[in-house]
Amino acid sequence: MIMNFNTAALLAIACWTIGALLSLFARRTPSLKIPAFVISFSGALVMAAFIAFYWSLLDRPPLRTLGETRLWYAALIPLVGFLVEYRWKIEWLKFYCMGLATFFLVINMLHPEVFDKTLMPALQSPWFIPHVIVYLVGYVLLAASSVTALHNVYMQVRHKGNDAGEAVSHYLALLGFVLLSFGLIFGALWAKEAWGHYWTWDPKETWAFLSWLAYLGYLHAFRYKIDSSKLQWYLALAFVVLLVCWFGVNYLPSAQNSVHTYTQS
Amino acid sequence: MAVVRRRWFQTPWEFKESVLFTAAAVVAGFLIELATSGSGLALPRLPVNAIALSLFATLVLSIGLGFRNTPVVEWFGGIPLGLSLIFAIALLSLIGGIVPQGAVSSGSLAAQSGINHIFSSWPFALTIILFLANLGLSLSWKLVPFKMKNIQFILFHAGFWIALSCGIFGSSDLQRLIVPIEEGKASNLGYTMESDTPQHLPFSVFLHDFSLEEYPPQLLLYDPHSDKLLMNKSQAIIEVRKGATASWMGLEVLVLDYIPFALPGQKGIPQPADRSTGIPYAKIRISAGSVQRETWISTGSPVLKPDAAALGNLFLILVPGTPKSFRSAVTVQDNQSHEVMANLEVNKPVTFMDWKLYQMGYDEKAGRWSKLSLVEVIRDPWLPAVYLGFFMIMAGNILFFWNGIKRTESAS
Ligand code: HEM
Repeated sequence: MIMNFNTAALLAIACWTIGALLSLFARRTPSLKIPAFVISFSGALVMAAFIAFYWSLLDRPPLRTLGETRLWYAALIPLVGFLVEYRWKIEWLKFYCMGLATFFLVINMLHPEVFDKTLMPALQSPWFIPHVIVYLVGYVLLAASSVTALHNVYMQVRHKGNDAGEAVSHYLALLGFVLLSFGLIFGALWAKEAWGHYWTWDPKETWAFLSWLAYLGYLHAFRYKIDSSKLQWYLALAFVVLLVCWFGVNYLPSAQNSVHTYTQS
Repeated sequence: MAVVRRRWFQTPWEFKESVLFTAAAVVAGFLIELATSGSGLALPRLPVNAIALSLFATLVLSIGLGFRNTPVVEWFGGIPLGLSLIFAIALLSLIGGIVPQGAVSSGSLAAQSGINHIFSSWPFALTIILFLANLGLSLSWKLVPFKMKNIQFILFHAGFWIALSCGIFGSSDLQRLIVPIEEGKASNLGYTMESDTPQHLPFSVFLHDFSLEEYPPQLLLYDPHSDKLLMNKSQAIIEVRKGATASWMGLEVLVLDYIPFALPGQKGIPQPADRSTGIPYAKIRISAGSVQRETWISTGSPVLKPDAAALGNLFLILVPGTPKSFRSAVTVQDNQSHEVMANLEVNKPVTFMDWKLYQMGYDEKAGRWSKLSLVEVIRDPWLPAVYLGFFMIMAGNILFFWNGIKRTESAS
């Protein structure tokens, strides 16, 4: 298993590195644009194929451990970068995205996980996949929003105008918020079926609620008279709450009797 | 942008006043909590809570509609106060997300100030009430006069209002009881987490059979000195089946035969047996360098000793697989001759009258041989209202998603 993962990961990282270099050269030689895109995109395809392969090998969706969810991020985050480039003609985001995906894969290579097919009964539910995938996509969008906001802050410090960047961070946050809301409600509906109650203030639930509140606050501040350039800091930092929710919860004192922290390898 | 400095409490009120007001509410809440030694607050049950909630909703709506141009009311239903309250709720939830809830003894400071039961504490309750008032006012202005373009706003805010208020006001009517039942017996006694005195249920549950299915057992190398399990080379959990292989440093193991349910037989050769008594046996070939050896190992059970293979200081052991599924075949019956036969399983609760029955647990020491099933029975009369709120929020979400994308297109 490790062999296969390392090969796939190195292949994907190679695609992203070569693709990124070609995109840089494409600034001078526009004919390189298409090969650059095709090669970068192949990196995400390699990861998608690996996920499919791993899924069939495990006989269960690879969504149970943190390491397994990182595979999905590595496949999905670059796609957000490509989408933003295509939709808003903003090129730089994809470099960050491919960098982030590489980072996730490197973590997985450094911490090989135990290959374990078992899935506890509470996770055997039709809600499992929609709930986790919706959250995954939400996190991906919000990660991209946060990276964009950070870039916007950097542009402000250098006194460069950057309205397009602010629009991107806003819409990514908006879409991410929509997915967080769905994830939260799907989670509640599932909890009712699996554990008997839709909300028990379990630490994971509490942090998911906190992350959702952070973006709810952002949307209302944006709607109010607050200058959107001042909110870029907020958006950049809001992701920290998400990070705590995603894997920090496992380390908090409150989580000792949590029912749904990710399985540790 | 020219900023005109506004003095404190000079209308229109904005963030400063909102933050001050919110902070005052939170501090007052903590003071009440301290004064009452952290007793939290107990909500009334049906029908009193429903009446109180209706009165509160009517009050908020009539103030919103009757005084919509009064500056204080405008401020009370505005985004600055809303934001401050959202942050107060976030802050209190943050406490609840860090401090273990319900963990410490009642004399400690954490218990007295309410931070170990933050979600039923006074500061939380006051913040939520203000939040509902604020949200309700802003809602009243978008509801009347009704305009189609406000539908997204209404779905989000009314949905959240309904889900939050009914979830919280209705929490006192939530009944969760655990019913332990032994195979071949019936029970109508339910226990709460807090008390040892059982409560009588309006129905009884008869347990025909409890059954548990396990994943295949796992082959592991155990080091008794360090009390550790040594990971094999491929970093995979080795599920035992015929032909499975595993390797550790200088050690190759091949599973020659696997019998999921067997009992010890003559000359150490296990004989296939019934699934109710048999235990998993595996015949393995161990190769270390040029030395080869074949032996049977087993997981053992509450009545049978496990068989392990000694390898110098280490042991090759067979460990029962983790539970894959477990279920209880039950008959539920009340004294008005309603009767339901059902299989209870995790994630597959069964409805009986206005109760829901859940497969909760079993005697974990006995594992597959458990004769005891723990069934949780739950009644939540407010659930439909909360779900209505959830579905409204989801509908608002879909519109938000759609409009967000549409607006992007017109912006570019
Ligand atoms: C604290 C109480 C709240 C107040 C006072 C409030 C008020 C407002 C106001 C005035 C708007 C602008 C509406 C418009 O311009 O048409 C708005 C937008 C919005 N609110 Fe709230 N709201 C509150 C809580 C919530 C909650 C709990 C949710 C989520 C369930 C929510 C979700 C939204 C969304 C998604 C928008 C649209 C944002 C946008 O268009 O960018 N609000 N809110």
